[in-house]
Amino acid sequence: MLVQILFWAFAAVLVGSALGVILTRNPVHSALSLVLCFVTSAAIWLLIEAEFLAVVLVLVYVGAVMVLFLFVVMMLDINTEELRSGFTRYAWLGWLTAGVVIAEIVGVVMARSLGVDVTKGAEPLPADYSNTTELGAALFTQYAYPFELAAVLLLVAIVAAIALTMRKRPGHKVQDVAKQVAVRPQDRIRIVKMDPEKGA
Amino acid sequence: MPETDFSLASVAPALPEIYLTVMVCVVLMVDVFAGQTRRGLTATFTLLTLAVGAGLTAMYSHVGVRTTLFNGLYVADELAWVLKLFGFLFVAFALLYSRTYLNDRGLLRGEYFVLALTALLGVFVLASANSLLTVYVGVELLALSVYAMVAFDRESGIAAESAMKYFVLGAIASGALLYGMSMIYGLTGTLSIDVLADHLRGEPSLGVILGLVFIVVAVAFKMGAVPFHMWLPDVYHGAPTAVTLFISTAPKLAYFALAFRLLAEGLQGLVQDWSRMLAALAVLTLIVGNLVALAQTNIKRLLAYSTIANVGFIVLGFVAGTPAGYSAALYYTIVYVLTTLGSFGVVVLASRKGFEADELDHYKGLHARDPMLAFMMMMLMFSTAGVPPFVGFWAKLRIIQELWATNHPWLVVIAAAVSVVGAFYYLRVVKLMYFDAPADVPDTERQTGVRFALGLNAVAVLVLGILPGPLLDLCARLIHQ
Amino acid sequence: MITLGHLLALSAVLFAIAVAGVFLNRKNVILLLMCVELLLLAANFNFVAFSRYLGDISGQVFVFFVLTVAAAESAIGLAILVVLFRERRSINVEDLNTLKG
Repeated sequence: MLVQILFWAFAAVLVGSALGVILTRNPVHSALSLVLCFVTSAAIWLLIEAEFLAVVLVLVYVGAVMVLFLFVVMMLDINTEELRSGFTRYAWLGWLTAGVVIAEIVGVVMARSLGVDVTKGAEPLPADYSNTTELGAALFTQYAYPFELAAVLLLVAIVAAIALTMRKRPGHKVQDVAKQVAVRPQDRIRIVKMDPEKGA
Repeated sequence: MPETDFSLASVAPALPEIYLTVMVCVVLMVDVFAGQTRRGLTATFTLLTLAVGAGLTAMYSHVGVRTTLFNGLYVADELAWVLKLFGFLFVAFALLYSRTYLNDRGLLRGEYFVLALTALLGVFVLASANSLLTVYVGVELLALSVYAMVAFDRESGIAAESAMKYFVLGAIASGALLYGMSMIYGLTGTLSIDVLADHLRGEPSLGVILGLVFIVVAVAFKMGAVPFHMWLPDVYHGAPTAVTLFISTAPKLAYFALAFRLLAEGLQGLVQDWSRMLAALAVLTLIVGNLVALAQTNIKRLLAYSTIANVGFIVLGFVAGTPAGYSAALYYTIVYVLTTLGSFGVVVLASRKGFEADELDHYKGLHARDPMLAFMMMMLMFSTAGVPPFVGFWAKLRIIQELWATNHPWLVVIAAAVSVVGAFYYLRVVKLMYFDAPADVPDTERQTGVRFALGLNAVAVLVLGILPGPLLDLCARLIHQ
Repeated sequence: MITLGHLLALSAVLFAIAVAGVFLNRKNVILLLMCVELLLLAANFNFVAFSRYLGDISGQVFVFFVLTVAAAESAIGLAILVVLFRERRSINVEDLNTLKG
């Protein structure tokens, strides 16, 4: 019962914040709504006992991807008033598509003709079950091949992001760490031999 | 827990992927330590890598026997092997053609070659995919590399704009692909393409059809079928010509593999349903592609719409829904890539530093200025138009034969009609080159080595047209079910 | 008890909101990228739900990869966005009209 109440509460927040993402006027607010979406999704995943992914969703999405989004929003310094001055002529098409998609999918789910019994709950897991262990075991044995490919994918992201955005501007002041580390005392301090002052 | 064997012998059929992954890292290192001082070293090294890769793949092939590796996520069969071999060759030629172009525009940087190699790796992954997960990772590996390549010229606003469009639309398409895959997974309980094929026999449930619709939309988007083609002309036009050339080579092989592995292998049980959807898409694609191409004044956009029209034919091969139809589509894909590689190669060679030969008017009187380039372009245009004895003729003929054999007379009529319309704009290019007064534009690029390669390419189009047998037999042998 | 139907319906609603967002927000490319993230979240919901109710871990492994890919994807998407903004001083979708489909 408690699980069910929590589910409905989180689901309501999730849908509300998803609407917030597409309806608020300020991109920063949209990004924050999206963060709320991910956090509530993680909570729902916890409720259905997919703990590892719930944690990863918060760490990776909220911790990294959304921070990147916010960073870019702030960096580009977009004039928000001008940007969100209303929806365009395609607005009706958007609502129409959304309506049709919801009607179709919910219709299919509710009509019980999906091809699977949708009214059943999940089998309860034994007390000593570890979601992380099982996921890890599958990932490093059965799914080792895509795991390696994911590494290449991240390499592509690094190479692409650097190739596209890094520029060497003239007059750009940066530290050269190698030079800093390689510095020797005699480069910085010059010991000057002076004749002692003649006392009065 | 599944048994896992990673001994050298057991992963040997994945040699092309392993080799390529290692070489991506090596190229990256070569560029870091030597690329800055000696410009062009990375380019030479990459070309060498591709040549060695093609050699290794050709020599070391486990042909004949279909094996699955990595717990069934990877399939090594003849089709994958041939696609990889062609992938190596086409990408090597594409990079060879575009080297001077890139150098003139300050784009000859190591990252470009790394991205080209990772894109090729994506092609390989798709060619050998035997699981929805591998398909997804392959699609993304290819797409992410290509997005970055399109935006590679940071000084060009038009390139950035087309990259942004490509990225947003592409990301939405992969969202659709994922949603479709999740439905299929949920209703069959498996990600493996082999197992999927067994599960989906008999009357499909509504949920499966829903998933199928999303998957077909995503595949149509990736191939560039109307009405999901909006990105294609913009990307072809906006991207640097060298990148356009790249996009029209190996990725096309990958999208054939995507359609084949997903629809023809995994969802073969639903062939009735998807072949009807694809038939509608193909008709739209053929008509829109050919008619809009007539109105183009920019050669890159012209070739983009020509690509769309050709995609229509490839989709028609799938509409037939038989192994013979798929092999006709495979033949068409290879022939099309070979021909477009040459056509964009000519566009790249006609461009000079500070000048893009991308308007049709720039080709006026090309015959008078550079007879050899004009002759090659003429052969390639004739082939694309489907004029015998060039290879493009056989490609179109095979598709039409298969449609006839599978009882689609209306599609045969439409395909034949649009081919006639299409011939008109290809021949217009030839007319401009041979019968108009020379345009006042800079001289064409005259690098002997590159010209020789382009000559080989054009000759291949002719020779394969006169002797179509071996390639046709090969394509027929690759796809047997 | 949370049934499979609940989760699938929730995911469908999320998917629809994301699609609506793509059509509604013609003003700002960043918003489009966020809608794409919502789209992926909807698909992930399906995978997690099916995986849990089928008692098969591979759906959750798939989600793991989707998260990885999405992180890489947004890094590249935002990099392209930055390049675009430097050239055009705008990320308004309606200003992206040099190339007309």
